[in-house]
Amino acid sequence: MTSLMKHISSPLINNNPITLQILGICSALAVTTSLTTAVTMSLALTVVLCLSSAVISLIRRHIPSVIRLIVQITIIASLVIVIDEILQAYAFEISRQLSIFVGLIVTNCLVLGRAEAFAMRNPVLPSILDGLGNGLGYSLILIIVGSVRELLGKGTLLNYTVFTPVADGGWFEPLGLMQLAPSAFFILGLLVWLVRSIWTQQVDVPKFGLKAQRSRS
Amino acid sequence: MIVRPVLFPSLGVGGVSLLQGVALLPPLALSVFERGSGQVVLLAVALVTAVFWDLVFASVRKHRFYFHGITTAVIVAVLVPSALPWWQLALSLSLGCVLGEHIFGGRGFGFLSPAAICLSLLLLSFPQVQLEPLSQSVALATLPGVLLLLVTGLISGRVMLGALAVIGGLAFSANPEVDLIALVVPTLFGLVFLTCDPVSAASTKSGRWIYGLLAGLLISIFSKDVATITSAGIIFGSLTASVFAPLIDHLMVLAHAKRRQMRQRARQPNV
Repeated sequence: MTSLMKHISSPLINNNPITLQILGICSALAVTTSLTTAVTMSLALTVVLCLSSAVISLIRRHIPSVIRLIVQITIIASLVIVIDEILQAYAFEISRQLSIFVGLIVTNCLVLGRAEAFAMRNPVLPSILDGLGNGLGYSLILIIVGSVRELLGKGTLLNYTVFTPVADGGWFEPLGLMQLAPSAFFILGLLVWLVRSIWTQQVDVPKFGLKAQRSRS
Repeated sequence: MIVRPVLFPSLGVGGVSLLQGVALLPPLALSVFERGSGQVVLLAVALVTAVFWDLVFASVRKHRFYFHGITTAVIVAVLVPSALPWWQLALSLSLGCVLGEHIFGGRGFGFLSPAAICLSLLLLSFPQVQLEPLSQSVALATLPGVLLLLVTGLISGRVMLGALAVIGGLAFSANPEVDLIALVVPTLFGLVFLTCDPVSAASTKSGRWIYGLLAGLLISIFSKDVATITSAGIIFGSLTASVFAPLIDHLMVLAHAKRRQMRQRARQPNV
């Protein structure tokens, strides 16, 4: 049981897909301007990841290895289309804000990476748990980045006003930069810095180091 | 192949900041004199912020404390408008100092100018902030500093000439009757302390020419139009050019190595 739970807990921080493996950055930048879109995207990705891992793991012995990528993509793409249709049917406004990024889950390195690295060689239950764990790890980062960007960029959280902006008579001056894509890079970078200064085993060993300059006397 | 550019062997990194500080004194004094007490408050906020981050990182990383942040603070304080709210300055300067300098390990280890990062973050985050153009007298007060830095080799005449040539050339080609002196003099402060900054500029001989030309081109593009160079244009132009500086240097070093190899082969035809 503990070994099964490890599939869920390890991708949260120790092996986080975004901060350690630096996967799925593209969508993490694009959909985090507000917390609502970040949460929706996280849910969509987690569901796709769990289901695709389950399906691929179920038929892993029947997939010829030469065409395995095509089969994996087909499965993932079908799931993404279903999710996209559901969003358009029941949450049209959010689906419009997410625009193509739900569809682009197909090309998310994270989904294909888990299918190729884990679901192809493991039984169904661990694969589902692994998908869930990685989905939650992705969601955790997306929600943190989304909260920071919405709070500092608009003064709201989930569209509820937390800080009243100056324009409405409050004191809070929204930071325009937070709504632009580079700020997601900054926040992500600072987050990676924070994670790696607490969990120091994640630090990459640099290829090149600086040497103290010898005195020229 | 080991390339170790030793820029200022006799000065040390503390001496660089000291000289830059001396060069910054006259424009700072004039700017404070012209704009009064608002500027003094902003200068104080900038100095406290920059020295605070220097102290924090000196204690966390357990290295000696240097006053490098002071030059960053002064450059920023001269360029920002005196009506700027102090917390906006403190916030953007904190981000500039930490993300542009300390994150890489301190002055000289990064490849961007912390002042340029601070100012561009300020302009992007608060679109209502409008930089005032520097007055002629502040620009003229920069001249002694320019000479000092040029003579001590802290800024490169190649970068300076390259950038000025492109800025002047583009303005001249757009309008042959343009007053080149009036165009160039107000850009001097930004050019010297942002574009030619010894940390962020290219450091190979031919690379400096290319870097200067690129910076001049970008400054003209980012300004309102080629005949009116704005401070915002200089800031964004310098920042973008300095991103390319390591690449330019790398290519120049490769080209140099290639030429040497060819020469050696020509000298020993039978080997």
